[in-house]
Amino acid sequence: MNKTMNVARYEYLHHVGNKRFWISMVSVPLGFVLIIVFSMLLSFLAFDTRPVGIVDNGNLIQIEPDNSKPSTFFDPQIYLYVYPDESAARAAALAGEIQGFAVLPEDYTLNFQLTYWTNKQPDSDVQAEITNFISKNLMVAENIDSAVLNRINEGSHISLQSLDGSQTSDGTGWHRIFVPIVIGLLNFIVVMISGGYLLKALVEEKENRTIEIMLTSVPPREIMAGKIIGNLSVGLTQIIVWVLLLGIAGFVFRNQLGFLADINLSGSYVAISVALMVLSFLFSAALMATIGAAMTSTEESQGVIGLMVIPMMFPFYFFSVFLSNPNGILARVLSFIPLSAPLALSLRMAFSSVSPLEIGLIFVVIILLTLLMFWLSGVVFKRGMLQYSKRLSLKEIFNKETRNA
Amino acid sequence: MATIIVDKIAKSFGATQAVKDVSFEVHPGEIFGLLGPNGSGKTTSIRVILDIYQPDSGSVTILDGPMTNEKLNYIGYIPEERGLYQDVPLDRCLTYLATLKGLTEDQIKERLPKYLAKFDLTEHAKKKAKELSKGMQQKGQLIAALIHDPEIIIIDEPFSALDPINTQLVKDLLIEQRNAGKTIVMCTHQMNQVEQLCDRLVLIDHGQVLLQGELSEIRNRFSTNEVIIDALNPLPEKLNGVSRIEKLNGAYRLSPQEGLSSHELLNELVTQGIKLNSFEVAVPTLDEIFIKVVKESGGTDE
Repeated sequence: MNKTMNVARYEYLHHVGNKRFWISMVSVPLGFVLIIVFSMLLSFLAFDTRPVGIVDNGNLIQIEPDNSKPSTFFDPQIYLYVYPDESAARAAALAGEIQGFAVLPEDYTLNFQLTYWTNKQPDSDVQAEITNFISKNLMVAENIDSAVLNRINEGSHISLQSLDGSQTSDGTGWHRIFVPIVIGLLNFIVVMISGGYLLKALVEEKENRTIEIMLTSVPPREIMAGKIIGNLSVGLTQIIVWVLLLGIAGFVFRNQLGFLADINLSGSYVAISVALMVLSFLFSAALMATIGAAMTSTEESQGVIGLMVIPMMFPFYFFSVFLSNPNGILARVLSFIPLSAPLALSLRMAFSSVSPLEIGLIFVVIILLTLLMFWLSGVVFKRGMLQYSKRLSLKEIFNKETRNA
Repeated sequence: MATIIVDKIAKSFGATQAVKDVSFEVHPGEIFGLLGPNGSGKTTSIRVILDIYQPDSGSVTILDGPMTNEKLNYIGYIPEERGLYQDVPLDRCLTYLATLKGLTEDQIKERLPKYLAKFDLTEHAKKKAKELSKGMQQKGQLIAALIHDPEIIIIDEPFSALDPINTQLVKDLLIEQRNAGKTIVMCTHQMNQVEQLCDRLVLIDHGQVLLQGELSEIRNRFSTNEVIIDALNPLPEKLNGVSRIEKLNGAYRLSPQEGLSSHELLNELVTQGIKLNSFEVAVPTLDEIFIKVVKESGGTDE
């Protein structure tokens, strides 16, 4: 056990003490932030904030548009201007003063149809602004009290709760997707980075022959355990730092990220997600060790590791399936695969109720698969780590005669 | 009592029989040569001794019992394929490997500077292994194998990549360890080094023992009555009492007729008026014995 911890400590300090670790630690979230900022910037820049004209041929407008709210870069407003006739509105549109104009016909109240004149597809915000403005005026025409009017405009605040009562939300989708995506991304990054370190360490020890010295000092199982503990700790260090950074960012931008306040996670949801992430890492670590022991060079192993990305990304590929049918066959199957389970199950639990029996079964299957992978990695490690110049074939791995080698 | 007892070990990889019925013993205070051509089964035998491989049959006794995790701390091993972390400073790499041998940080702080100084590596301690010459890496490897003061030292090709000065350094070190009562198993192809250092040896080929025993006894076993002479004048084609004359580089190898001892041959030569600068009984070199035995056993494939 002491030697296991020596191996773990070396692995941990070797990576955490390396400036490349800190560069990746900072660059990955920085990259995400830059991508988000860049895409938001593009979105804001592409947003047409020019006013929209209204021509009221039906004499419906009783109240003037409310253009008092200031329009800012991060909270752009689309103001509505009422024009006396179509020609004035058209002139303003042609001059680029407004992005388009809506014409309410005289018989608007008969069929509620209007025409919007523009040379570009209007944003959904434009349509919403026009609809709200007309609705308000229609209600004023019906003498509905302004307080009631405002309440109707606000709409209902729907609170969702899963059948087992474990999760609640306010009915909007953002935060329900947010937590599983964070779990999926953290799992992906930790597995790829920490698992990558483990794979690299094993292949390098094989390449530079250090493994033979190791094997005459520490039993193979203790080497593997030490490496997994060390690299898991590296991954956890990354997660802790990133979660802290996320927490700080969340606090700083709490006003802009109001939806985060609606996140209401149960203890069991967090516990299940964390436990699945740890199991997923252990499975990946054993898989990486198997690949590392079987391969002869770092380049060769990198090619194989690319295949691991595919199952991890499955829930992302089939995101719409999870949203439309979280308890369908595909979503269920992906919940039983160690590499995809953390994201798959957290998504399902966020959008539906998963029975405790199924969750228990998922854990049993994943634990068994992880144990199986550890057994396989032990076999391949023993067989492959001292086979320097030749890749271990499947036949050699499963050949009973050579199993003891 | 032997420190290492290898008893009829056998090991196969698929259809390939790597080692078959190999037995030998190594005692404290001796340097034992494990010899054999490439692919003869030396490395497999060592890995079985070190418990890296489990033998299909037979057993290995180390320090009065089977190998245990605890006993790994009593062994210092330098494999043929050298292994140091290439991207790690030498002192950090050696510190790590020493901790795996059970040394405490205080012990390492006390011993490592002494070993680095002894091997003239102090000023290179902070360099990464990839920045060191092969010889320096070799010396670093020796430190890794010796820093925990092991009872058993197993060393594969200890002199490869070393210049004559460092070769002498390693030889002195091995002799020092032997004199300190350590058990040393040495694998090498350099027979001159075996002749200078080994007390006993085993020669294996195709996984089987061809020869083993004390060095002097083996030499005697393979010695003939042949003599090597340096004559003042060229020898005639035929000489009384000599069955075969072989011309060497500035000398002659003479095979006496059957029943004739080397003393009697000397008398014959003097009687026949051969003027001699030197006369010596031809003792076979280990190289010659090695080649002879391996060829007689069916030769090596390489």
